[in-house]
Parts: sequence; C-alpha cells; structure tokens
Amino acid sequence: MAKTKQEKLDAKREKQYYKKHKKMYRTTVGDVIFNIINYAFFTVFTLTCIFPFYYLFINTISDNSLVKRGLINFYPKGINIDNYLALREVGDLGASFIVTISRTVIGTVLMVIASAFVGYLVTKQEMWHRSFWYRFLVITMYFNAGMIPLYLNMALLGLTQNYLVYILPAIVQPYNIILVKTYIESIPGELEESAFIDGASYMQVFTKLIFPLSKPILATIAIFGAVGHWNSFQDSLIYMQGNSSMFTLQHRLYIYLNTASNIGAIMGQSASDAQRMMEEALNAKVIRYTISMVSVIPIFCVYPFMQRYFEKGIMLGAVKG
Amino acid sequence: MKEERTEKKGLVSGLYGIQRAITILVIAMAFFPVANPAKICELVSGKISLFTSAVSYTALTDDLARAFRMNWVSETYFIIAYIGAVVAVLGIVATGAGACMSLGNARLQRLGLKFTILGALSEIAGYAVCFVSYIMLNGEVGGETRLVKKLGPEMPIGVFVFGALALIVLLLSLVIMSKLPKVTADMRYEMDSKYKLFLMFLPFAFMAFLFCYLPLYGWRYAFFDYKPGGTLSMKNFVGIKWFAYLFENEATRTDLISVIRNTLGISALNIVTQWLPMIFAVFLCEVRNMKFRRFVQAFTTIPNFISWVLVYAVALSIFSTDGFINTFAKEVGILAENAKGKNYLMGDNHTWIKMWAWGTWKGVGWSAIIYIAGISGIDQSLYEAATVDGAGRFQKIWHITLPGLLPTFFVLLLMAISGMLNNGLDQYLVFYNAENREHIRVLDLYVYQIGIEDGSLPLSTVVGMFKSVISVILLFSANALSKALRGESIV
Repeated sequence: MAKTKQEKLDAKREKQYYKKHKKMYRTTVGDVIFNIINYAFFTVFTLTCIFPFYYLFINTISDNSLVKRGLINFYPKGINIDNYLALREVGDLGASFIVTISRTVIGTVLMVIASAFVGYLVTKQEMWHRSFWYRFLVITMYFNAGMIPLYLNMALLGLTQNYLVYILPAIVQPYNIILVKTYIESIPGELEESAFIDGASYMQVFTKLIFPLSKPILATIAIFGAVGHWNSFQDSLIYMQGNSSMFTLQHRLYIYLNTASNIGAIMGQSASDAQRMMEEALNAKVIRYTISMVSVIPIFCVYPFMQRYFEKGIMLGAVKG
Repeated sequence: MKEERTEKKGLVSGLYGIQRAITILVIAMAFFPVANPAKICELVSGKISLFTSAVSYTALTDDLARAFRMNWVSETYFIIAYIGAVVAVLGIVATGAGACMSLGNARLQRLGLKFTILGALSEIAGYAVCFVSYIMLNGEVGGETRLVKKLGPEMPIGVFVFGALALIVLLLSLVIMSKLPKVTADMRYEMDSKYKLFLMFLPFAFMAFLFCYLPLYGWRYAFFDYKPGGTLSMKNFVGIKWFAYLFENEATRTDLISVIRNTLGISALNIVTQWLPMIFAVFLCEVRNMKFRRFVQAFTTIPNFISWVLVYAVALSIFSTDGFINTFAKEVGILAENAKGKNYLMGDNHTWIKMWAWGTWKGVGWSAIIYIAGISGIDQSLYEAATVDGAGRFQKIWHITLPGLLPTFFVLLLMAISGMLNNGLDQYLVFYNAENREHIRVLDLYVYQIGIEDGSLPLSTVVGMFKSVISVILLFSANALSKALRGESIV
C-alpha cells in the first residue's frame, strides 16, 4: 500500500510541476495531433485485447437460438446462465477441474516452500561446497534434454499416467530460487545473527524470520507459479496419453476445440445429415465458448492481485546473481 | 596413545569414504534400468529400473498382462519379485539415511551405522527374494520349451551386482562399528552446521538430478533401433544410423529443411521486431492521463497470462466460419445472410506473419513493462534540461529515452537470438491444421509429431539433441558477445 501512496504523491508533484511551468508546456497543434493518434492507437489495441473475451462472454449468456443465427455481436440478448449449468453434463470436465485446481494449489504451495527454503540455504556461506551446489541448480536453466528424453525419463521413473508428474518436476525451479535468494540477501544480516545468538536453529530462523520477511517475493513467485499450473497443457498432452481422467482443463479444452472444428468440417455432406450436424456444431460452439470462459475467469479473478506483484517480479528477474 | 587415535580416525574416515561412495553408486544404479534385480524374465520391460519396479507393480508387469490372461504363468512369482524389489529399495533408503548420519558426531555415527547395517541386510534379503522368484519361475516353466520361448526366464544379473555391493557395505559398517570411539551417555546427537545445511539441501539437489540431469541419459536412445514398448539391448544398437538417416533419407531431409526454415523464419520476424515493446512503452509513457495509462497497461498485459489453448479458443470465436468476423459481416450486409463464411484460420497464406502477430498480440504489453520501468528510472532532470533547451517531444525521445533503454533492449535482443530455436510447442500445435502444415511446423512441433505422434523416438531424440546442443552454443556465444561489447554477462 505504501507504494501506491508514494505514486499518488509523485503524480501530484508532477501535476504541480506542469502547472508551474505551463508556458513551457503549452500544447501546439502538432501535440494535439500526436495525442489524438497516440490515444487512438492505445484505445484500439486495448480493445483488441478485451473484446474477444467480452465477445465470448456475451455469447455464453445469451439466448442460444440468437447465438445460432449469429446475432450476438456487441451486447447480450435474452440473458440466462443455462450454458453454465449445462456444463455439468459435459463428461470428464469435472475431473479435469479437480485435477487442475488441485495441481494448482498443491504444486504452487510446494514450489513456494521449496523455493523459499532452498533460496535461504544457498545464502549460507558455511554450507558444504555451497557455490558448487548453487551452480548445480542454476545451470539446469540453460540446458534441456529435450521433449522425448524427458518423456522417456518420466516413464523410467514410473511417472507417466501418474498424477505426481504434474507436481514433482515443478517443485525445484532455479529461476524462482534465484529470485528468493536475491531478496533474502537484501534482508539485513543482523536480524539473523541476533536470532542465532539467542540460540535459534536454522529451521527456526527460516520459519520464524526469513519466511515471513520474504513474503512479497514469495507472493510474486506464487502467482506466476499458479498461473503456470493453471495454464499447463504440454505435460498433460505428453505424459497422460490415453488416461483421459487425468487431463488438465486446458488439455480438455484443446480436445473440445478440435472435435468441434471436425464437426464443422464434416458439415455439408448430405442435406439431412448436414441439418443434424449443424445443430450439433452450434451446440458444440456454445459449449466451447462456455468452457473457455470458465477456464479464463480464474485468471481474471487473480489478475488485480497479480498486477501489484509482477512489475516487481520482472524487475528482480533482471538483476540475477 | 594420541598417535594411535589419529591413525584410527584416518582409517575410519577412509572406510566411511568408501561406504558413502558405494551407497551413492547404489542409489544412482537403482534409477537406471540396467541390471534390474527384479527383471526375472524377458517380458519384464527392460526400460524399468529397480526403483520403478518397487514403486509400481503395474509398470513391472506391464507386458505380462497377456501371459496372465492366457494362464501361461501364475502371477505369484511376479508378486514375489515385486515384494523383493520393495524390500531392497527400503534397504537402499535406509543405507542412504545411514550415510547421511555418518556426517555427524560419534553418537550420530553409531545410529547411522545401525541404519546402514539394517538397510544392507534388508537389501540382501530383497535381492534374495527376487532371485528365489526367478528360481521358482524357472522351475515351473523350465520344462516346457513353448513357455520358455514366450516368457524367456532370465537370470537377474542385477541380484549379484547389487548383492555384492550391499555385502561390501555391510562388512565396512561392521569394521567401522568396531573402530568407532566409545560413546558416553551424556553425549548428544550433533553435526557440523556445514553438513547440516548440506543435508537440508540434498533432497532438492536430488530432485534436480532426477528431472534435469537424469533425462540426459535418454540421449542414448539416439543410438538404438528402438520402438515404443521394445527394449534397449546391444542387439539393436545401431551407432549413428539415425544421425545419418536424418540427412540421407530424402523425405526426412526435405521435412527437416522446411522445419528449420520455419523455425528461423518465425524467429527472425520476432527478432527483427524486438523493438516493438520498447516503442510501445515509449509512446505509452507519452500518455499523460495516468488513469488511461494504467487502464491500457492492465488490459494489454492480460493476454500474456492466457494459455495458448485459450488464445486459440479466442481466435476461433473471432475468425472461424461462425465467428465474429463472419457474423458481423452478415449483420451489416457485406456477406449474404446464408452464405458460407470464410474460416480465416485455415489456409496457408502468410502463416509466419500470422504466428508472429499472435505472439506479438499476446506478449507486447507484457514485454513493455520492463521498458516502462526503465523509463521511470531515467533521470527527470535530463528531460527538464532538454525542455529548457527547446527540444521537442520526438527529440527528447530520440536523444534521452531511447539511449536510456538501449542496454535493456540489447540484453533482450541477445536473449531472443540465443533462444531462436526454442519457439515453443503450444502455439504451433494449437494453430496447426492440415492446410498450414507446410509453414507452421517448427522444431518443437516437429519433434513432438515424429516422436509422440508417430512414435519414432530415436529420430526425434536426434533432432532434439541437435536443438539442445545448438541452443546452448548460441546462448554462450551471445553471452560472450555481451561480455566483449558491454563487459556484462547475460546469463
């Protein structure tokens, strides 16, 4: 909160400054034209970012017969939430929801705790061969065995077709560890020293002192981690082949999108068939929109909280150490 | 007296060194499929390690389902082998714990030795059980050549390798036990803080080993003639056949050339337009209305947090046959009411540019944030001085803002260049269709298609290997370049 106060103050100062130097900042015709173009460009671009989601949304809450005729373009008509209720009937969607929500919660919590703990450990100079072990972790950011060896490795460990494949590989994240380490190093060392003098153990110092103090950076990595888990698609696609009860939400959505477009492709074979297919395709279309909406809503919900943190996160990422 | 004690100490630490080394070796071996003690017949997959055999009974008997169904053999033997594997793995875990405790003081070392001895005994018991299951299996089917041919009972060599190592650990522990100094009752369990910290770190290093280093072992598939469900053995070792195949086979060569062209083409578009986020940020900062600026920033960043699948869903809703563009065109009368709309996502014209455009739409607002932060870090007095000197808006941008952002731009540009083979899979997979396949297949998608979809694992491993190695070389070249030009490293 302190930050926003500071920002308000800055804005106020800026305003006063411009008032004081009004003459110097007199707007010319060129400025006006520039401003119009500038504002217009950003308005249009922002609209392209918002409109698709708005369009999806109004189509899911409108009367399906109007959607079918393509009449819902800018505002909803005949508002109802039947489509959202109909999602209960869509097979396997519930399972995907449970898988995705649980992996987001469990995976994020474990990742944050591990990053905090490892981030703390690698700041300790007295650790046995500290710099070697730190490099051992960090270097994994720069190479990658590749998709297939990784897949074979998961098979080797018995993790294919296994829920744990969503959780375990994502726990140790070197990038997040670096972020936490950098942050902890900025905490004054005297705090820790006095705790040690009072007879605290490493674990106590970590849980009572370091963990609470590094909450801002932990919130940042938690948010990014949660979004990553929520959006995960590749691991489900590659490691869960055939085990459809374990598919994540995004994977499920991908399958629905593809089937729906297939139905569209079959359309126009024979007249009577085409009629039935049309019906089916349109139903599929609305359901597709609704599922998309449902999987995007959580992102929109956490987004206001995220905004506060991601600027900090991206700046810290620039100062790696 | 004193000399004798130091001599004893040296001996103990030497023996401990050997014991720890063997323990680490055994733990590592438990993750490699060679010499798996639970592989008691040919039908037990050659891909699974001792660890996997103990964790998952289904993995152990994956290829045996038919044998059980046809009643060739009773399942009991495999359950026995499985139990043996579990007991052995528990033993290995115990020896590992014992080795960790050996870093402490004498009291902790004694406790550790108890763990190690029990663990080694349990290991030996486990291997023995595996061996017994083999003897029993062999006893039952040995007489019938038909079954022998089908099941192929196989002497588990691993039993002897692992067993011998466990025996050595056991003997070493007994010797150390007798040499350890006496422990008084008032002694507490203690350990140097440097080892304490290391042991707390160890589980995480182990996970990094499992998920980042161990996969490199999968590169061996590039040298074998391997089919999904098959096994790796010297029988199907083919050397560099797949490497040569990649370039000699007409079809793969044409594929590879087009894939590389797409990869480099799309990356080149991204690299050439790397300045877009910077310009976006510069012009956004020219917006004086803070509320509007915040609004724009908030909403242009959102697409970055949406998965590619959802981006595709959005694309479908706007550009497909019954999407917004077509229905809107019908509403305003550009398109006839019952005309069939055009699906803009199909078709292969300007595929590279389309992919670039989606990537830019998704990422530009996000990438601009770092530049916006950079602009607010520029000294305001520079602008004031320039204003006093009569500089216009564009002069200030050109002479103050852009030079201030250039270092950031340079770093990001180098990162983009070093990552030019890594386009990612998601975007190209979701936008892939039968019509644009010629121009959308990038390396990641190609590896996925030939490996996972077509199941030719060795070939896709080879492609992936090339990609990984070239990426690392590119990254370090970019780093060296950055060091030479700016005296700062980027990694």
